[in-house]
Amino acid sequence: MSATAASIGMTRRLAPRTVLGAGATLLLLAFVLGASSGAYAISTAQLWGVLRDAWQGVVEPSPEHLVFMNIRLPRLMLGIAAGCGLGMAGAVMQGLFRNPLADPGLIGISSGAALAAGVTIVLGAWLWPVLPRTLGSWTLVSMAFGGGFLVTLLIYVLSRSESGTRMALMLLAGIAINALAGAGLGLLSVMATDEQLRSLQFWLLGSLGGARWSAVALVGVVVLLACAASLTLAAPLNAIALGESQAALLGVDVERTKRRAIVVTAFAVGAVTATTGIIGFIGLIAPHWVRMIAGPDHRIVLPASGLLGAALVLAADTVARTILAPAELPLGVLTAFIGVPMFLLMLRHYRHRI
Amino acid sequence: MSALECIDAGFQVGTKALLSGMTARLLPGRVYAILGPNGAGKSTLLSLLSGQRRPTHGEVRLDGLPLERHAPAALALRRAVMPQESSVAFDFNALEIVTLGRLPHRTAPEADEAGIVDSAMALTDVAALAPRILNTLSGGEKARVHLARAMAQLWHPRPGGDTRWLLLDEPTAALDVAHQHATMALVRQKAAQGVGVVAVLHDLNLALRYADEVIVLGQGRAMVQGPTAKVLSPALVSEVWRTPCELVAGRDGAPQYLFGGLQPSAT
Amino acid sequence: MSMHLRRRDTLRGLAAAAGLAALPAAFAQQGSKPPPRLITISGAITEVAYALGAQDQVVATDTTSLYPAAALKTPKVGYMRQLSAEGLLSMKPDAVIATTESGPPVVLDQLRSAGVKLELIEADHTWGEVQRKVQAVGRAAAREAQAQQLQRQLDAQWADVQMRVADDMAGRRRPRVLFVLSHSASPQVSGEKTAAHAVIGFAGGVNCLSGFQGYRPMTAEAMASAAPDVILTSNQSIEAHGGVERFWQRPELALTPAFAKRSLVTQDALLLLGFGPRLPQAVDELHRRLLAAA
Repeated sequence: MSATAASIGMTRRLAPRTVLGAGATLLLLAFVLGASSGAYAISTAQLWGVLRDAWQGVVEPSPEHLVFMNIRLPRLMLGIAAGCGLGMAGAVMQGLFRNPLADPGLIGISSGAALAAGVTIVLGAWLWPVLPRTLGSWTLVSMAFGGGFLVTLLIYVLSRSESGTRMALMLLAGIAINALAGAGLGLLSVMATDEQLRSLQFWLLGSLGGARWSAVALVGVVVLLACAASLTLAAPLNAIALGESQAALLGVDVERTKRRAIVVTAFAVGAVTATTGIIGFIGLIAPHWVRMIAGPDHRIVLPASGLLGAALVLAADTVARTILAPAELPLGVLTAFIGVPMFLLMLRHYRHRI
Repeated sequence: MSALECIDAGFQVGTKALLSGMTARLLPGRVYAILGPNGAGKSTLLSLLSGQRRPTHGEVRLDGLPLERHAPAALALRRAVMPQESSVAFDFNALEIVTLGRLPHRTAPEADEAGIVDSAMALTDVAALAPRILNTLSGGEKARVHLARAMAQLWHPRPGGDTRWLLLDEPTAALDVAHQHATMALVRQKAAQGVGVVAVLHDLNLALRYADEVIVLGQGRAMVQGPTAKVLSPALVSEVWRTPCELVAGRDGAPQYLFGGLQPSAT
Repeated sequence: MSMHLRRRDTLRGLAAAAGLAALPAAFAQQGSKPPPRLITISGAITEVAYALGAQDQVVATDTTSLYPAAALKTPKVGYMRQLSAEGLLSMKPDAVIATTESGPPVVLDQLRSAGVKLELIEADHTWGEVQRKVQAVGRAAAREAQAQQLQRQLDAQWADVQMRVADDMAGRRRPRVLFVLSHSASPQVSGEKTAAHAVIGFAGGVNCLSGFQGYRPMTAEAMASAAPDVILTSNQSIEAHGGVERFWQRPELALTPAFAKRSLVTQDALLLLGFGPRLPQAVDELHRRLLAAA
C-alpha cells in the first residue's frame, strides 16, 4: 500500500483464493526445507529413496530411513499441527477480544499448563507416586493439558455475570490468574532440585524435540477438530467486530460464540502446549500478517493464520535444530527473538488505535 | 394489526430508574420520533424497543409476543438498528461493514447479495467510500455507512409478510444539513414501503417536517405520544426544553420552531 | 604405618600384574572391526572414557564434559537433560553412555530404536556408581580389559583413601561441613541424598545439614543453627561471587563458626561432585584440607 493510499485509509486486499494459495505454498516450501535439513545429513537422493521405500512399504530400513521416518518426519508433522493450532487460536482470540494484540495466553492456557508441568516435575513423585505407572511417559503431557484446561475454566467462570460473559472481566481475571501461576512457578523453582529446575526450564522454553508418532496423532486430531469447529466462528466473529450488542442485533448468539471460541482455543492450544511446552508469538504474528494482506474478514483470517502459523513453526524449528548442530536451540527462544521485534512493530502500527 | 408496543415498561439500574411507565403503540408504515432533552432516556427507550435491553418492569411486545420470546435470528431478519456510535475493531472497510448487514440472511441469501449492498450504499451516498477503512472516516461518513448497513439488513420485504422495523439512534447527529434531510427523506420513503421507523432525534424541526408521530420524554414528567404537530405545542416545547421558542410556518406551510431570543410573554 | 605401606605395595603389585596379563586380551579384541564410536554424556563418564584410553572413540560429548581439556574440543550435543535425537544420531555413534538423569525420555527411546546401544548409570552417590561407570564405558568401548585394569587401580586408590581417612579420624571429632552451591543468583545448600553429602562423609567430615534431601536456599538462621566449622564450595561458585572476600560478605555466613576462622575449602565442581575416576583424589585432597581448616 502506498503512503498516500494508507493516509486516506484505503484498503488493498488480496483475493481469498490467492491468500490461501500463498499460505499453502509457503507451508509446502517450509515443509520441503524442513524435510531436507537437519543435524543428520541426508542427501536429496537418499530422501527420495526413503520416501519411495515408505510408499512401497519396504521392510529393510537404512539409518537414513530410521532417522527420517522416526525422528524428522514426526517432528515436521508436530510442527504443522502446533503452528496451525496456535495460529488459528490466536486469530480466534483476537476476534473475541476485538483486539489485534490478544493472544491465547490471555485466558490462562499457557500459564495453567506451565504450572501443572511444574507441579508434575517438582512435586510429582511426592504427590502422586502412582501417576507414572498409570500414565507412563504421558504423565507430563496429560497433567499439562489438564492444568491448562482447568485454569481456562476458572478464568471463564470468573468472567461470568448476569448479562453473560464479560470480556473485560475475562482480561482482568486472566491477568490475575496468570500472575498467580507465575508465583506458583516461582515457589516451585525454589523447592526444586537442580535437575528438576533444568527440566522445568527447558519445558518452559518450548521444543518440538519430543515428537513421536503417538503424540503427533493426538495433537493432530485435536487441532484438526478445533480448526474445523473454528470455521463456524468466522461469521459471528466478523459481527462481533461491530460490538457485542450490534452483533446480537444481527442475530448472532454472542454467548454461544464466546463459549465455542474459548473451548476451541483451550483444546487446540492446550494440546499443543502440553506436548511442546510454551511456543510464543505465533498466535500473535500469523493473524497480523494475514490481516495485512487479506483484510480482517475472519473467514479468511482463521484458515490462513493456521497455514501461516504452521509455515512459521516449521521454518523456526528448522533453524532451531540446525544452527547449533549437533545441539538444539529451544524453539520458544527462537520464536521470542523473532516475535518480540514483530510485536513492537505491530504496536507502532496500531498505536493510534489503542 | 402488527405493532411494536411497550406496556408500562421501565428500566432501572440499581436504585435509579432511567425510565418508567412507558406505554406506547407503534404501527408499521409510519415514522415515529423520540424526542426529549439530554438524559431523558431516549436511547434507553429505543434500546428497549429494539430488544437490546430487557425492561426491568413491564413488557415490550412485537406482534403481541414479548421481544425475548422471539428468536434472535428471526428478529434480525425484520428489525435493524442504526447505532449512535460504534467502535469497530480491525480495519474493516465500508463495503465489508455494510455487507455485515446481510449476515442474518446468510442461510437464505438473495440472488443478488452484492447488488443489495451496492444499492444500499448508493442510497446513503457512501458508494465512493467502499474501499475506505471505516475507522478513518469522519463521524458523518461513519453514520451513513451504518445507516446503509441497516438498510441492507431490511432490503426486501419478508416473504411471510412480517413487518419490518428500522430503529435509528440519533441518525442525524453527526450529519451535515444536506445529509440530515436526505436521511429523513429516505426513512420516510421506507415508511411508505411499509417499514415501521422509530428514530431518536434531538432536532424538533426535523421531527416536525418528517415524523408522523412523536414520543416526548422529559425529566420527571409522563411521556406524551401523539401526532407531531399536535403534541409539539409551544407550551409543551418551552416546558420540556426550557428554552424560549417561537412557532413559525415555512413557505411550504410546514411548522418549524425558532429558538432563543426573548421569553414569550405570559399569556 | 609399616603395615600400611606393605598393604599399599601389595595392592599396587597385584594391579600391575593384572594389567600386564590383560594386555594380550586387549590386542586380540581389536583386530576384527573398527572400535565402537561413543558419545559420553556427563563429565564423569567422559573422564572415564579418556582414562580408558578411548578418547579417539569419543565422537561427541555433552556440555557438562569439561575435563580433560581435550574434551572441551569435542562436538557438543547440548545439555544432558535436553538432548537432540537427530543431533546424536548425526554423529553415528555405536553406543551412548549417560546417567539416568539424561533426557528427554523420548529421545532415549528414539536412540534405542535406531539401534544405538544405550548404557544408563544410576547416580546413587556411592563408590559403586564410579565402578558402574567404568564397567559401562568399558563394555561400550569394547575395552573391557582396560576397564578391569582401571577398576582395579581405582579400587586400590579408593581403599587407600578410605583407610587413611579412617585412621586420621579415629578418636577425633568429625568437622561439621556445609556445602554451598552458587552457580546462579541465590546460593543453595545441600542436604541428604546429594553428591556433596556423600563426598563430605567420605572425606571424614559430617554434613551439618540434615533432615531434608536435595538443595535448599541458604538462610541466615538455618546457617547459624547448623553451625558449620568449615564451608565447602566449588571454584565456580567463588567466581560467581567475584572472589573469596565477596563470598565471606554474604550475611548468611556471618554467624557461623566457620566465618570466625575463615575456614573455607574450595574445589573444582566436576572434580568434587562428578563421581568420576578422580573421586579418590578429590576425597583425599578434601580430607587433608578439612583437617587443616578445622
